[in-house]
Amino acid sequence: LAKTVSRQNGNLMQLVYGPSVIASTTTSQEAHDSSESDDSDEDFFMPKGERTKQLNENLDVDNIDMEDISKFNNIQLKDWSDEDLVKSIRDRFVTGDWSRAAQRG
Amino acid sequence: MGKTSYVRLKGSRQFRQRLLLATLSSTPILVEDIRSDDTSPGLRPHEVSLLRLIEKVSDDCTVEINETGTKLRYKPGVLTGGKYLVHDCGLTRSIGYFLEPLILLGLFGKKPLSIRLKGITNDSKDPSVDTFRTTTLHMLKRFGVPLEGLELKIESRGAPPLGGGEVVLGVPIVPNSLTAAHWVDEGMVKSIRGVTFSTRVSPQIANRMIYAARGVFNRFIPDVHIFTDHRSGPAGGRSPGYGLSLVAETTSGCLISTDVAVSYPKADETDVMEDSEEKPEMLPPEDVGVQAASMLLGEIEQGGVVDSTHQGLLFILCALCPPDVSKVRVGKLTPYGIETLRNIRDFLGVKFVIKPDPTTNTVILNCVGCGMKNLSRKIA
Repeated sequence: LAKTVSRQNGNLMQLVYGPSVIASTTTSQEAHDSSESDDSDEDFFMPKGERTKQLNENLDVDNIDMEDISKFNNIQLKDWSDEDLVKSIRDRFVTGDWSRAAQRG
Repeated sequence: MGKTSYVRLKGSRQFRQRLLLATLSSTPILVEDIRSDDTSPGLRPHEVSLLRLIEKVSDDCTVEINETGTKLRYKPGVLTGGKYLVHDCGLTRSIGYFLEPLILLGLFGKKPLSIRLKGITNDSKDPSVDTFRTTTLHMLKRFGVPLEGLELKIESRGAPPLGGGEVVLGVPIVPNSLTAAHWVDEGMVKSIRGVTFSTRVSPQIANRMIYAARGVFNRFIPDVHIFTDHRSGPAGGRSPGYGLSLVAETTSGCLISTDVAVSYPKADETDVMEDSEEKPEMLPPEDVGVQAASMLLGEIEQGGVVDSTHQGLLFILCALCPPDVSKVRVGKLTPYGIETLRNIRDFLGVKFVIKPDPTTNTVILNCVGCGMKNLSRKIA
């Protein structure tokens, strides 16, 4: 996912908040009685097919039980002894070319 | 109890953020279908532990969990903070898992928070306590958090699977609210600092990691200092492990961090305990050093003001600001960062304006804060 984000230039907003996305985050605010009987009844008598359909929809979008990890782990390690790679981040260091770095920002 | 309107959510994903944002915005939440299709359904021990921790730092919150643990009802109370609290984080996730939401909860408490956390200090899943101390706490500075009382002391370390580490976290309260940040200058890397940790292994391993990491940085910058923190005896916890945490500091004061930790896997993940004759090999120290260094260079290449791991926290801090414009620059948006943005919209009603910056391959985010005030303090 992170990879695709970098390539798309225009529609980052859509990617994050886009219409397909809104459907996936299931946050519908509903008033709830303390008894909550209606809801469980509905759940109980849902036709078989409908329930699996719902599940599939959820799985399609994303795994709702995805593990909660903030650490960014899936970086493919690059071989930083490669000369071209070294050059590409040369100016991110104070030992690099300051005027070129200034143009960046 | 009368009618309470719960926001209904599904699944265990983003569990910490949902709890955190629900607490800060005083939104009761109802989470259903928590691993309901899993072979072992329901909440995990670390998630229950986090709920207990939230109960400890707040007053009058209610947590209801159904029998199988697949359904959770949470009604936030008032954050109180307090001194000399103790919490056992368990051994399923490391202390870093708990620290992330806890610092934010601490900021909006009634009294400054001081808490002793026990468990695993360094593992491969969560940011280590070293990263926390060197990088995460300094991020808060940018948003006007007072520095006095903001500290993390590592009293003893613990690697997985048995842990045994202890840290003491101190978080001050924000007197009124955070201040919006204009933080787009990522600067140039001027120095690299780091600290190794090694517990119940040869102290020489630390030097081997440092040597390998320095080798990678040699072509870029001479100012590299990596400290060693070797723990033996009770301060070294109950399991062997070692790792390296690195921080690059830029001319504009941004901190870019990575960390790598290795240890023997948990007993329930493999059948190590049964045939103890052949233990699985740990990644050699040299490889750990090179891996950490390469990851850091990768993060530097991204060109954000924070590393990928801290994107989520950065966005939340921006959203919690008073109604001023905050502007930040990050590298590629991470999946976790995107999830965070969605959660922020759902709970705080803050929508970011996200614009790519093609010349530097970074992303600029603008937002107007939700005007979060420290209400707990006002009541006091």
